[in-house]
Amino acid sequence: MDGPDRAAERLEARAPEMALIREAQAGSRAAFDALVRQYEQQVLRLALHLTGSEHDAEDIYQEAFLKAFRYIGNFRFECSFYTWIYRIVTNICLDQLRRRKTRREDQAVVLDHSGDEIDILASVSDNRSFSNPAKELDRKVLAERIQAALGKLTPRERMVFELKHYQGLRLRTIGEMLNTTEETAKNTLFRATKKLRTQLAGLR
Amino acid sequence: MNCELAHERIVLGAYGELPDEQAHELDRHIVGCPECSQEQQQLLALKTLAKAYPVVEPDPNFITRSRIRLEEALDTLPPKRWYERFSQRIVNNFSSLQAAPVAALLLLIVGAGAGTLGGYEYAQARAAHAAGRGPAVPGAKADPASTLPAPSTEVSNISSVVRQPNSEIIDVTYNQVIPQHIQGSLDDPAIRQLLMLASANASSQGVRDDSVGLLAAECRAGHACQGEGIRDALMVALRYDKSEAVRMKALEGLQPYVAEDIRVRNAVLEALLNDSDPRIRAAAITELEPVQADTGVRRVLSTVANSDNNPHIRTVSREVLSRTPVFQ
Repeated sequence: MDGPDRAAERLEARAPEMALIREAQAGSRAAFDALVRQYEQQVLRLALHLTGSEHDAEDIYQEAFLKAFRYIGNFRFECSFYTWIYRIVTNICLDQLRRRKTRREDQAVVLDHSGDEIDILASVSDNRSFSNPAKELDRKVLAERIQAALGKLTPRERMVFELKHYQGLRLRTIGEMLNTTEETAKNTLFRATKKLRTQLAGLR
Repeated sequence: MNCELAHERIVLGAYGELPDEQAHELDRHIVGCPECSQEQQQLLALKTLAKAYPVVEPDPNFITRSRIRLEEALDTLPPKRWYERFSQRIVNNFSSLQAAPVAALLLLIVGAGAGTLGGYEYAQARAAHAAGRGPAVPGAKADPASTLPAPSTEVSNISSVVRQPNSEIIDVTYNQVIPQHIQGSLDDPAIRQLLMLASANASSQGVRDDSVGLLAAECRAGHACQGEGIRDALMVALRYDKSEAVRMKALEGLQPYVAEDIRVRNAVLEALLNDSDPRIRAAAITELEPVQADTGVRRVLSTVANSDNNPHIRTVSREVLSRTPVFQ
């Protein structure tokens, strides 16, 4: 359980960021740019993994930070800036996922900004000193199956699973970001894992 | 624990969200429940499978490209108009106030407390003043051992107020300040005692100035000044008095004792090193000249010659040092 000392430590650690936020609220573009640099990598990482498309991830990045710039004056330090910015990003991602559901897109591969397919597994290091094309193909197929199973979750289930399993956030934080309770986030995670197990049962 | 609850806790445990005691309870349940054990294995398998679609760090070029596009978009945004910034500031300030009810309540309590205390103090002062002027309260039994404060005295404080049980008699204990007057010569021990007290404790700088001046002049005036109490009083004034004039008089008064009394010499050396007034430091150098051969004095003069922030002080220190032959 967090005590008052931990809370004071967290507050002290956040002091430089709070100064940046206040400057940005006062209109300093340089301060806002500094905040963007602190969070851009995490935002892109999340958006890219969720959408599987560099183009879509860049759109989410653009929309999220433009919104943050427009509404930073409304930030009241009631939560961390990290939670606040992620709240914006997850809402945009949810909208994106809902639109995909409506269009029934099945994004089974990751695309770069020019629309070419990216072999995501190529960036994952292989411990073996020689390549094994058969194994590589198996992994690629497996990745596609995983993405397809993730695509069958509802947008909220997909988001909660993404934030918990892939991004490693606490359920309480996920609840704050999605403007819900920890209990709701927990139940959403249960449903998501159950569905995924059913979808992927044949792969074991 | 039933299996439905166990299935939920298996998920939480797999993601590190389960408290230790619940994790222990779950482990015990799984040992005895094959179905839940299988459930746990399946969840772990899911976690392993999910790694087949790993999270990758965005390419630096991709990040840069995105940032450039964002900056271009931000550059095209029109700046906020003054009334938009003003209204935003008003809303933020209002929200800050809303978010600080405890601070507002504390302010109210402190303000009310200060007002009450001020009123009480004023009423007390009025009562004390009226008691000093007015007649005795009718019906009050006068204690033969005490009388009401005379008009020329002041009540410095009330230390207790006690009502006698089953009675209308009230016991009040108070302290009085009674102004007194005394006159005598500097040889009078009572006068010396009072002057030494005044040099350290008088709230008025003028009183401290006069008392230190009189004590300092005692020897020069031809009065007996062997008592260590006078030197102590002058040393205290030299070290601690806030007034430069008082410290200068104290230094002048200690001059006859610099050669014979090592405590006085040390006090003058301290003044040379630490006093904020350069005139006092210069006077200290002059007073130390007769004992400049003392190694302790030379060491201090050497330090001052190198590090005092006043150039005149440094020059004078060097001159004194140069006049003294160094014994090998």
